[in-house]
Amino acid sequence: MSQNNGQCLTVGGPGLTENGSNRGIAWEDHEKLSTPTRRPKSPQPGNAITIAVSSRVLFNMEKEQQIFEQQGMEEYIKYQVEHETEPFSPGPAFSFVKALEAVNAQLRELYPSSEELFDVVLITNNHAYVGLRLINTINHHQLFIERFCMTGGNSPIGYMKAYHTNLYLSADAAKVREALEEGIAAATMFTTGKLKEVSETQLRVAFDGDAVLFSDESERIYKAHGLDKFFEHEKAHENKPLDHGPLKGFLEVLGKLQKKFYDKGQRMDCPIRTYLVTARSAASSGTRALKTLRSWGLEIDEALFLAGAPKGPMLEKIRPHIFFDDQMFHVEGAAEMGTVACHVPYGIAQRGTKSGAKIKETSCGPKLEISGPGQNILSETKK
Amino acid sequence: MTASICAASDTRKNAEHTVVVAITSHSVFESRDGDDVFGAGLAFPLLQALQRVNEQLLEGNPDESLLFDVVLVTTDRKQQQQRSLIMSSTTHHGLDVSRFCFSCEEDFVESLQTNAVDLFLSTDRKELLQASEQGVVSALLETHSASPPLEQLRILFCGDFLIQPDAGLKLAGAQSAKGFLSRLGEVRRRFSVQDSPLSITVLTSRGGRESCGSAICVLRSFGINADEAYCLAGAPRAPILNVLQPHFIFMSFDG
Repeated sequence: MSQNNGQCLTVGGPGLTENGSNRGIAWEDHEKLSTPTRRPKSPQPGNAITIAVSSRVLFNMEKEQQIFEQQGMEEYIKYQVEHETEPFSPGPAFSFVKALEAVNAQLRELYPSSEELFDVVLITNNHAYVGLRLINTINHHQLFIERFCMTGGNSPIGYMKAYHTNLYLSADAAKVREALEEGIAAATMFTTGKLKEVSETQLRVAFDGDAVLFSDESERIYKAHGLDKFFEHEKAHENKPLDHGPLKGFLEVLGKLQKKFYDKGQRMDCPIRTYLVTARSAASSGTRALKTLRSWGLEIDEALFLAGAPKGPMLEKIRPHIFFDDQMFHVEGAAEMGTVACHVPYGIAQRGTKSGAKIKETSCGPKLEISGPGQNILSETKK
Repeated sequence: MTASICAASDTRKNAEHTVVVAITSHSVFESRDGDDVFGAGLAFPLLQALQRVNEQLLEGNPDESLLFDVVLVTTDRKQQQQRSLIMSSTTHHGLDVSRFCFSCEEDFVESLQTNAVDLFLSTDRKELLQASEQGVVSALLETHSASPPLEQLRILFCGDFLIQPDAGLKLAGAQSAKGFLSRLGEVRRRFSVQDSPLSITVLTSRGGRESCGSAICVLRSFGINADEAYCLAGAPRAPILNVLQPHFIFMSFDG
């Protein structure tokens, strides 16, 4: 294993990469630079809303992933270390993370001493060998990520629990499922084609209803007995709140932050906006959904009842930074139209489905989770 | 004052290339009333993990001389006088110990030095401070008796051992540990990135991502490529340590 004896770390700071140059500076020269602007302290995990992202959703590591899959671990690490000072380009979660930071900036202005902020933590299976390249990249893009766990192949679940993680985004479906089983809201993100532009000042989060915000109980009825029975059932139980789904908690924390803006008079132009994008129809089954939300004391800014119509076009209008759905069909449809869509592998929709061939659901990173629980490497067809 | 006495066991290794690890007997053994041998103490899982590394090193190369060489050291008079009990307990539990140093509070550091100990491990911070102040590389033995013992030897470096904040690039306890660190790096390199019987972790409690980056760099400069890295940026350590389960921790023992 070769060692990198030369350049070790770039230093973030204004003006360093002005000319778009990718070369970092040697660690030895670190001292000669002026201290970068003082960054605000990270909030305590218990107070903050912790969003854990894996390296492959935050950044585009497709090339490296390919090297890993085709040439193995040693070559992968060698490549990463050789390219240590070259930042990765943004991945599917990047604009979402940027939007979280924009919300934080506005929260800090209104509540300077509060720790109720988003805290983005990088949680990756990568070894610390890749760590410096990741740190250099974070510096390059001037992201506010100060916490990370590079587990060197061990399961990330324990660390996420230690950090009170509110949401976990990863390219690895197996890890996402594991997180869901442990009660952590999680979704699988995919690298897709060109993404539509999204707002830089307002965070927009879109949710599917059944099996995402709500449990999959109604979906089960639909699958077992068909659409008519589904409508009947929903009408009959209109006033009985649905059980909660894996992303209900995340909507709840978003609501708490929204309230902080409302309290300062920012209701109309709130920097956080939430959407329900559901196949339910407004006329009938939608009522139960809305009543359930109300019974939970949760508000959603816009509810879009598509009555079974494709979600892609609607999402393209909304331009959310992230969209959660339990069905790959909808995730793909959204992605095709440039929305960052992620899959929540929860509930009845997962049984007997073959994960989409269109979206490259890359198999998990370093195949070393031997110490972790059963590894289901989904070998998807490559492009 | 009883002078310290060192005894060699039958399993003495080739002195030149080994990594000599001295562990206090009070962390290895536990008194058991009514028993004529000591019971297994907190450091047992560590001894087993060290042994496993040695086994795999020899599997890779039967003539391997870069092995862990374990020395048991007493650091107080009480234990010093239980010489035979310590030795018989060692045999009873089948521990791979090559030497015993029966010292007391006043001279245990000296005996560590004369025995060319590369690493001193104890659960007692005062002892560790004493030893490190006199130039003996020391680390805190961690105990997680609640969890099942891990197969892999897990070593943790804290940021404050590797970097001295506000002192630019000046290195902290790391400087004196140069020799040991490069040998440790050599041992690690005998194994591949995956499935290694030992794992080296860096953890920074305070400071942002760059302090962790610097810590990784410092280790690298000594020939160690860390396997895992955690940057807590002020988050509480205990929950993370519970997941990490290191066998021993390099840290600053001052203050």
